[in-house]
Amino acid sequence: MSTSLSSPTQHRHERPTKPKLGAKYAAATAVLLIITIWAGIGVQVDLPAIAANWRNATTNIVQLLQPDYGFFPKTIPALLETLQMAVIATVISSALSLPLAFLASRATNPRPKLLAAVRFLMNMIRSVPDILFASILVAVVGVGALSGIMALVLFNISIIVKLVSESLDGEDAGAQEAALAAGASWPKANRAAMLPQILPSFASQVLYTFELNIRASTVIGLVGAGGLGILIDNVRSFFRYHELSLIILEILVLVLVLEALSAWLRKKLV
Amino acid sequence: MEHTAADIRFSDVSVTYPNGYTGLKTIDLNIPAGEMVGIVGLSGAGKSTLIRTINGLVPITSGSITVGAHQLNGRGGAQLRGKDLRELRSNVGMVFQSFNLAKRTTVLNNVLMGRLYHTSAWRILLGAWKNDDVELAMSALERVEIVPKAYEKASSLSGGQQQRVAIARTLAQRPQVILADEPVASLDPPTSHVVMRDLQRINADLGITVMVNLHFLDLARRYSDRLIGLRSGEVVFDGAGADADESVFENIYGRSLTAEDVLDGQAVL
Ligand SMILES: Nc1ncnc2c1ncn2[C@@H]1O[C@H](COP(=O)(O)OP(=O)(O)OP(=O)(O)O)[C@@H](O)[C@H]1O
Ligand SMILES: [Mg+2]
Repeated sequence: MSTSLSSPTQHRHERPTKPKLGAKYAAATAVLLIITIWAGIGVQVDLPAIAANWRNATTNIVQLLQPDYGFFPKTIPALLETLQMAVIATVISSALSLPLAFLASRATNPRPKLLAAVRFLMNMIRSVPDILFASILVAVVGVGALSGIMALVLFNISIIVKLVSESLDGEDAGAQEAALAAGASWPKANRAAMLPQILPSFASQVLYTFELNIRASTVIGLVGAGGLGILIDNVRSFFRYHELSLIILEILVLVLVLEALSAWLRKKLV
Repeated sequence: MEHTAADIRFSDVSVTYPNGYTGLKTIDLNIPAGEMVGIVGLSGAGKSTLIRTINGLVPITSGSITVGAHQLNGRGGAQLRGKDLRELRSNVGMVFQSFNLAKRTTVLNNVLMGRLYHTSAWRILLGAWKNDDVELAMSALERVEIVPKAYEKASSLSGGQQQRVAIARTLAQRPQVILADEPVASLDPPTSHVVMRDLQRINADLGITVMVNLHFLDLARRYSDRLIGLRSGEVVFDGAGADADESVFENIYGRSLTAEDVLDGQAVL
């Protein structure tokens, strides 16, 4: 036993040589370095200017640290609008995402062309930032919550479809195979055998996008798409930092509370 | 439950996989309705390929297979597809080595998958099964003695119970044929016998043709009327289990019997 283990000439199989990756790693590092330097030069990182602005900043920060709580009642409608936008956008986008996710997964869509088309569409939507959707929709639909909701829906669909179709890809297809072998069509087999398997992960994605929506709905509001964002834009342009401070605090509390809630719910799901 | 029976006939069937590998070579077989057939052979001999051609999961390259009124042809022949293929499949139940249940849903929902072909899309979408189908699924569960677990999650069952749910799923199809691809390979010996006895009873009581791939020779001999031995994609034995002595097995396996070839762990039959 020990002799055969230690004697190098006794190997029944030739030992493979370890692949050399050194050159590849060096090349990758060099490329990253060059890109970083190029980016730094491009945006003209100006350290002295940052120092000069800092004196302005301190007075603003002092104001920001003193929220004007008396402003709270005036923020309530916008706060509710933000919440409502997030809820409606989440509901609409989950309903639309579920069938799209089945069309976007190799495991559930046997038609290569349709699969490629759906994936291409989803990649397109995902590559557009939510704030850009909001800007365009505000221009088309007008200022207000509707354009905000539409922007959020587009943004959500791209996320939910990607994540849910990936969990479909990774799901054990055994039950689906059995359903197909019993004479089910693909849609029937997917509904009966695959849907129950990914339901928890779908629900968890929906909750997660709801969290994202609370945050995103404040940001897209900045371009006029409803909710707290519009309010932020107003007070900021009049340099009312005490009021801005309160709004930021409200968002912080809202996001923290909802995140805790959804984290708790998601834990129960999986 | 009433089940009609169907003969299965292989005529000169060959299967060549897309990578050029020949899985089956010129198979001719006639399996009359109601037989219990055991298929044995080394790993890679073509047992799964043979079974999977019957419901069209593996397309045949040449020759033809008839299953009752349905015919599957090789390349160049008329292809069974769409609704016709699904109708054939609805008449043929399949049991898998790894059970293939949807583990996150109930036992009953899994058994109802045997009714998918006969159920309209909107009912399936809403999960609104017909009462008759629920009753059919329940009586299928009754036959494998799992009814009390109907509303439990499939994942909460033991391996043997899961396989019996999978058998109930095929029964819910009211099939003419049940194909089982190494149904006991993931189970311990006592549970293996329980599952094999279920299949045997279904064959005897309902007259359903059962074709079962088995790794263990003693199981195959004990539970089947007829034994088919495959070697490198060819039928090298076809006869009664009792006629399959050690020399026959040497022919099928290309070596003499070892303890690993039998369930009960002794190299004798
Ligand atoms: N999809 C495929 N593509 C290419 N070759 C395949 C494919 N499926 C099976 N084969 C090959 O065909 C041969 C027969 O396979 P098959 O699965 O029918 O054997 P088996 O008797 O069921 O073996 P096991 O006991 O391991 O399940 C094997 O050599 C296998 O590698
Ligand atoms: Mg096999």
